[in-house]
Amino acid sequence: MVNYLVTLRTDAALLIVAHGSTVNADSSAPTLAHAAEIRRREIFADVECAFWKEEPSLRDAVFLFDPESIREVCVVPNFISEGYFSQTVVPRELELYGRITKRSNGQIWRYCEPVGNHPIMTDLLLRRAQEIAPGVPKNEATLLIVAHGTDLNENSAVAAKREAEKIRSLGKYSAVLNVYMEEPPLVSEWRKLTKTRNVVVVPFFISDGLHSYEDIPVLLGIVVAAGGGCGQPGSALPATAAPGEIFRHNPYRVDNRSIFYAPSIGTDAGFADIILEQALNAKS
Amino acid sequence: MADPVEKLLETVCNDSRSFCVGEILVRKTSTGGFALSHRDDKATDQLKIFRSAEDAIDIAKHDDAGNYRPLKTAPKLRHGWRLDLETLEDLRRALDYFYPGRLAMFAAWKSDKLQITPLRETLERQSGMYRAAARISDSQINDVVADFCRSNGGCLRTILWKRDAEEVIASTKLPKEKFDPAYDQMMASKPPGSPTPATAPIPATIPLLCQEACNLLIAECRKVMKGE
Repeated sequence: MVNYLVTLRTDAALLIVAHGSTVNADSSAPTLAHAAEIRRREIFADVECAFWKEEPSLRDAVFLFDPESIREVCVVPNFISEGYFSQTVVPRELELYGRITKRSNGQIWRYCEPVGNHPIMTDLLLRRAQEIAPGVPKNEATLLIVAHGTDLNENSAVAAKREAEKIRSLGKYSAVLNVYMEEPPLVSEWRKLTKTRNVVVVPFFISDGLHSYEDIPVLLGIVVAAGGGCGQPGSALPATAAPGEIFRHNPYRVDNRSIFYAPSIGTDAGFADIILEQALNAKS
Repeated sequence: MADPVEKLLETVCNDSRSFCVGEILVRKTSTGGFALSHRDDKATDQLKIFRSAEDAIDIAKHDDAGNYRPLKTAPKLRHGWRLDLETLEDLRRALDYFYPGRLAMFAAWKSDKLQITPLRETLERQSGMYRAAARISDSQINDVVADFCRSNGGCLRTILWKRDAEEVIASTKLPKEKFDPAYDQMMASKPPGSPTPATAPIPATIPLLCQEACNLLIAECRKVMKGE
């Protein structure tokens, strides 16, 4: 945990904004948990969350902080990358014009960097990879950082690429690759992209949900699609397994290789530290 | 220093021994705390007891059938629980988990600080996959809003927004009470002959105000345009 010696003014609030989901009940859970942890530390006078797809909405957020008592609001996007949501949707919905916006009521809103941009992220990815594959020699393993990838904003895949480069430069793993669900290099081509016996996979997502529970496991071949036969007999889970069960059966044996599959990085409790860091960076 | 939301809650608590927020009944206890339950469970003894405001997150997440509730103001809060809380701060936090942001909207509305946004303005602002929603006709809006926002099965919020800048009502197919903050939307959500008839005394109620169309309604408008 980061040790904070700074106590912010009692007239400052933190707003954590995230995507949320209308179909996935677990989507907002990490964001709410990080907010509760930061609230517990009593650094801000108020800590609130707002979501694109859940409540309170980003539009509601404009009215969450009493301008009489809260003079400054730090907005931290709980997004993995600088992209469509952090650059277009969030500023538009919150009526933010650049890094600092002064409201007509005098309230100052500071728009901070998304959590995915913070240097601590590299440490969290390394820690999660170590936790999911303890005892596996890193020089005999490939680390895959899996992100979504999209054509809506070309920056979407940048954060995953940057993290892969940083970890690769440390020389710990035999190979470190950034792969994507919807753009090359595709996670579904991991057999061709990797050469090691062990493959450690960390989803670079804010929360667990459809992508980490189902989509990526199917693309990796560690889930048996209904009526189909992926991987070796007895090694894969049925597609009907309970959410979260997918992370409890490591390693998976596919084509004589071992796959270690981790929960999404955003569920790491260390995200609370990153959110605080981003807010403090914006204030300094 | 108590903020406007806590002051407002304090006032409501001082004025009455019990009050309602959406589907929730809040009762003051003899020890100065609060007992929250589903309004339908008012006379039920066999309730599962919870004691943390954070328990509200899980209680509100799924309906009685186990389905995820993406819209917390939909009248599908599950039954069979009681949440015992000690302080006003706990109560505020729990209600914020049950109905995220609604207390703050009510406080802003009470002090004339709540900005109301017409539906057309919300639609015109959209980008990406929701841009198509702006092409929806006035007649289609009339139907979509009537179906999606109705208190009986749709949403318990009180609509404050208009269809457009000309101040046209959001849907002529909804009863006028749907737009009245003084009306308890739960009364409209109950079918005739239900245990809480419309003629029963109405407890003090904090309305769930809707100052702007939610993303779910925008998604419904998009579905109409996409023929889904």
